[in-house]
Parts: sequence; structure tokens; C-alpha cells
Amino acid sequence: MIDPISRLGRSAARRLSRLGALARFGFHALRAAPALTPAGRRVALRVGLTQVRFTALNAVGLVVLLSSILSFLVISQAVREFGRLGVTDLIGTLMVIAIVRELGPLITALTIAGRSGTAIAAELATNQVLGEVRALVAMGIDPKQYLVLPRFVGAVVSMFALLVVFDIVAIGAGFAAAKFNGMSGDRYVQIVLQSLTARDIWLTVAKALATGLIVGIVPSYFGLSVRGAPTEIPVATSRATVTSIVGIFLSCALLR
Amino acid sequence: MTAPLAFEELRLGGRVTPFTLAVPEHHTVAVLGDEDSGVGTLGGYALGLERPAGGRAAVFGVVIADLPELERLAFRRRVGYLPAGEGLLQNLSLRDNVALPLRFGSDAAPHEIDGRVSVMLTAVRVAAAAQRRPAQANEEERRRAAIARATAFDPALVIMEQPFDGLTTRAAAELLEFVRGGETADGARRTILITGQELPAVIHRRIERTYRLTRAGALELEPA
Repeated sequence: MIDPISRLGRSAARRLSRLGALARFGFHALRAAPALTPAGRRVALRVGLTQVRFTALNAVGLVVLLSSILSFLVISQAVREFGRLGVTDLIGTLMVIAIVRELGPLITALTIAGRSGTAIAAELATNQVLGEVRALVAMGIDPKQYLVLPRFVGAVVSMFALLVVFDIVAIGAGFAAAKFNGMSGDRYVQIVLQSLTARDIWLTVAKALATGLIVGIVPSYFGLSVRGAPTEIPVATSRATVTSIVGIFLSCALLR
Repeated sequence: MTAPLAFEELRLGGRVTPFTLAVPEHHTVAVLGDEDSGVGTLGGYALGLERPAGGRAAVFGVVIADLPELERLAFRRRVGYLPAGEGLLQNLSLRDNVALPLRFGSDAAPHEIDGRVSVMLTAVRVAAAAQRRPAQANEEERRRAAIARATAFDPALVIMEQPFDGLTTRAAAELLEFVRGGETADGARRTILITGQELPAVIHRRIERTYRLTRAGALELEPA
């Protein structure tokens, strides 16, 4: 009887300890920012811009595709079904709450975690295995400043940028779906705008920030936690992805 | 006068006898030993990348590992370090690898850094391969670029791990001359510590002292 409970306790303690280490890692990465010299800031900015190009710019097509398909399908069904029930006004609520506020941050963050988070974890793990991180430290370059911070900031910026793209495309695709199913475009715009409140906007922003922090810090943490064997790289990548996904769902669920 | 690099009573590998060695200024000293002798850890201890189980490693009289984090990072720029396996960043070209420490750690203008990097790449004879990434370059080109990177800040002390493994005798001799940085009345301009398993005979003849860590744990001076 005691054994399963103690095993459960050990597992919970291990997870809590990892969560603590993750938070400490994120805090140290952020704390490294003010210590950057002007020259270091220029290098970190360049790395950060490369990260934004890969994470945001190169993912625009994917986000547009996911957002337009999702929104078009949901609004098409809703116009038909809500029309039958005579509650077409609810389409605005559906668009704002379900798509813009809830699914937007969730799908965008999952896209970044799956696409860029895995790449970051694998890249940093490889840096670690090949002794590149050690060489950076030996040259007087803080890996938190050169490797972690730019990726972290890049991921947060990309999350916001892609979320804006997602929401604009979703509303546009909803407009097209509404018109395609016989609803007037003006009516669609009117009910969507009526449903939009300040709370929806700040909740969307809060979710973007929370999920951005997760996809920015979790892959770096797991990537740099590799100690030396190349076989640890896929393990670190997999752990980073799973932890990011769980964190994204939890943060979206908690911010309501 | 304080030696630029001193190991005092260091616990090295599984050896019972503590390791003590001072590298005098302007001297090139090699410490050779088997892989399990612990010679490969000397560079890491000197730069404060790892802490020894006992004893201390001091660079210019300072134990780097004891410094606060920011000072530790800044102090390391005073030491050139060539790790075993080079440690070049795979996503940067050889040129960008050499430029990285200067771009990150100096306040020089970008055009000044570019100029200095070009001079260094030419000096180590890797300018033609400068735009290649490490995976596209051969071992000798990578080693040349890594040595240029290690000396980017023109350090007074350079620590090199297995620097000549896999190189031709001519390349090894050339690179040693480059790292020595010219001659003074007391010897080379820079103080150099080389660690590894073996040295080419041509290098052995050009350095001041070669020590060998024996299996018994003794540090023996090899005949010149």
C-alpha cells in the first residue's frame, strides 16, 4: 500500500522539481538581458531576428492554412445550423470566443511548439553534444545571452505576430463562409464586432504571452539539459515537445 | 613573479599524487598523458569550466571559477582556448565563428572587426574556405579557424587541447608559430599550454618543456 503512494509522491516531487528548474532557467535567461553589452546586444538581436524569420515568417503559410480551414468549416456549419434554429447572432460569439480567444492562441502555440520548438530543442542539444556551448563559455560568451534569450524573445514576438495573422485570417475566412452560405457580409461583420469585448482582447493577449513564454523557454531548457551523448538529442526534443504541449493546454485552460 | 598559469595540488583523474605545474611567461609547455590520465581536464580547470576535486588552477594569479559570473565571463576573454574537437558553431561560417567573440565581447566597430577577422583568416591560411560551414570544411581548415578564434582577442595565454591531432607536420608547425605570435627576448610572445596524448616530433623540438603524466601518477619532464 505504501509503495504505490511513495512512488506517486516521488514522481510528483520529480515533476515539481523540474517545474522549479524550468522557472529558474527562464528567470536566469531574462536576468541575463540587462547584462548584455551593446556589442552583445547587436549579436543577440541578429540571432533573435533569424529566430523570428524562422518561427514567424516561414510559418505564416501554415498558420493561414490552418486558420482559414478551421474558421471556414466552423462558420459554414454554424450559419446553417444556427440559421435553422434562428440564433445566427451566436455566430459572432462563436467566432470571438471559440476561434479568436480560445482556438487562436492554442493552435498558434501548438504550431510554434511543433515546428520551431522541436528545432530549438534539437539545435541546442546538438550544440551541447558537440561541445559548442562549452566553447562559448570558454570564449566569455554567456549561452543564456547568445543562445537562449534571442530564441526566447523571438518565440514570444513570433507568437504575437502569428496570432494576429491567425485572427485576421480566421475572421476573413468566417466572412467568406458566411457569404458562401447565404448570410450578408454586413450582418456577419456587425455580429462579430458586437460580440467582441475588451475582456476578449486582453484574454487573447494574456494567452499569447503565456504560451509564448512556454514555447520560448521549454525547448531551450530541454535542449541545454543534454549532457553529452548524441542519443540524448531525440529524448530531449521529445520531452520539450510534450512538455510544451501540456503547458500550452494548461495555460489556455487556466486563463479563462 | 606570478606564472601566467599555475596548477597547485590539483586532484587529477584517479591519481593519488597531486598535480602541480607552473607555466612560465613566454614559454610553451606541453603536458601529455593517456586519455584517462586527466590531462584533458586541465584546460577546463584553468578556465573555471569545471571545478577540481582538490587543489586550484590559477590564471594570472586568479582562480577563474571563484569569480562572480559576469567577471568570470569577462576574464575568460583574456585567455585563448582551443578545445578538443574545436567547438566551432555548426550554423556559422568559419569566418563568423572567428568573428563571434569579437562581435560579442568587444566594442570595436563592425568594419574594424571585419578587417581584423580578414587579417587573421589570412594569417592562418584559411581565407579561401572562410565562407564554408564547419561541416563543409576539412579538419585542417576547421583547426586553423578554431585557432584564429582562440586568438581573436590577442591573449597573452593560450591553452590548446590536442591541437595537432590529425594535422600534417607542416600544418602543425605553422599553427604553432601562429599561436606563439612572434618571438621576444624571453621566448614566444604568448604563453602556451598544450595538452594531449602525443605531439609530432617537429613540435616537440620547438617547445620549451614537455611533461608526461605516467601511469604511476608522476609528472616527468621529457628530454628536449
